[in-house]
Amino acid sequence: MSETLSPAVARPDHITDAVFYDFDMFADPAYLANPHARILDMHKSAPPIFWTPRNGGHWMFVSHSANFEASRDVEKFSSEIVPQSKIKEMLAKLPPGAPHIPQPLPINIDPPDHTIYRAPLQRAFSPKAINELKGSIRELAISLIEGMKPKGSADFVSEVAEPLPVQVFLKMFGLPLEKQAAYRALVKEHMENIKNHDPAMIVRRMLKLTAIMKETILDRKENPKDDLISMLWQTRIGDRETTINDMENYCVVLFTAGLDTVVNGISLGAYHMATHPELQQQLRADPSQIPAATEEMLRRYTFTVPLRRVSNDIEFQGVQLKAGDRIMLFLPGADLDAKEYPNPEVYNHKRENSVHIAFGAGPHRCLGSHLARVELQVVYEELLTRLPAFSLDASKPVTFHGGHVVGPDHVWLKW
Amino acid sequence: MKIRIDKARCVGNARCAAISETLFPLDDDGYIAITEVDVPPGQEQIARRGARACPERIMIIEEDSK
Ligand code: HEM
Repeated sequence: MSETLSPAVARPDHITDAVFYDFDMFADPAYLANPHARILDMHKSAPPIFWTPRNGGHWMFVSHSANFEASRDVEKFSSEIVPQSKIKEMLAKLPPGAPHIPQPLPINIDPPDHTIYRAPLQRAFSPKAINELKGSIRELAISLIEGMKPKGSADFVSEVAEPLPVQVFLKMFGLPLEKQAAYRALVKEHMENIKNHDPAMIVRRMLKLTAIMKETILDRKENPKDDLISMLWQTRIGDRETTINDMENYCVVLFTAGLDTVVNGISLGAYHMATHPELQQQLRADPSQIPAATEEMLRRYTFTVPLRRVSNDIEFQGVQLKAGDRIMLFLPGADLDAKEYPNPEVYNHKRENSVHIAFGAGPHRCLGSHLARVELQVVYEELLTRLPAFSLDASKPVTFHGGHVVGPDHVWLKW
Repeated sequence: MKIRIDKARCVGNARCAAISETLFPLDDDGYIAITEVDVPPGQEQIARRGARACPERIMIIEEDSK
């Protein structure tokens, strides 16, 4: 989809020619035509760490080593894009009785508080807990794929990739049936606005989300059931009890981090398989290779771009960074770095080093990675088992979006 | 052969345990539960694979000196 380039801002003094490169991560035309091809090109044409004047002006970390090092150095690279002290100040100025403005903790908070807010979620998203959900995730995947199959041709994104993670969430949250329609409508609104990063609109949607969830959250406090909300009420945040505000924060973070990521990840995988019939054949003949294929597709098409703020003036890998500078951890670049992965453009699930950082690195490592892996693997398994050989429907070309979660808008398949 | 693990830097990827849950046991949160693996004879290959699967690169393989 073509987008208008954001205006270029003036170049600050510490940005030298050597680190200047003009790239609009939301609207670069070549990027939107084929994101990962553009990234491979960037490894040849752009510096490994560069500053772009687009979207307010920010750094892009493209090399694997810059992403890996910065993700693990939480002191130099803060996840508090707006410092928590400032957020507290702002919240304190709200009139009494104003609705709680939810925050996506623990994504936007640094250790040591990060550890405290992340801890209660950990067990519910551990490999062991997620494995217990595998059967029900498979049932959902089967019913979506079987529902699509008779059509002979369909948009995989809206038929399978979008509904699956939403239904998994509804199950985990135990949201009652009568609330599910409102929840789905909100997810749809969220997805349709994936290109719009206006903060006021995002806050409005998050308030809608907490309004939909509130009754269920409060009910589970008194009447615990076998669901995530009830479980979270029973844990503590550091040394204090969980409050309704904490619960709303958790709902918001899981909503924003766990839906469009999975949608884009599964869709990129389906796109790759649709354009590589020989891989479909290979995986159909030996499904035990699907977990390795899932990993290599995550590496080849890494698609999330987390943000950081530079804490103090520093020199990092030979580049001068100033306190307050914004950094894009361009993980899709990291996983296509030839220094780390020889012939990075080649998909090969038997490559020697297949260890990617699609789920990030350091303490903010994706909390939902175990869930995401199961969702991806199960969908690929069922897709390959249930559909005959599939390919892209040439009459409906694939279009892509950029931003913080990169991927196809639609993937029309035919079989 | 031994695997030494910088446990404090584990962030719970659990890729080691995906290779071998017995060599690389996890705690209830899904983080590595141990700081060292004394690799039983015959399991060197799988232990190496598990250590190399760590995205944080916090597992050091110590081969036996002959
Ligand atoms: C293939 C799908 C997914 C990918 C590629 C992905 C990627 C990521 C990445 C790169 C981060 C690190 C962000 C940072 O460093 O600032 C992250 C964090 C996070 N992810 Fe995911 N994610 C996926 C699916 C999910 C799912 C399904 C869930 C939820 C259930 C989820 C929940 C979270 C949460 C809560 C965080 C914040 C963790 C923290 O800050 O400590 N993600 N994800």
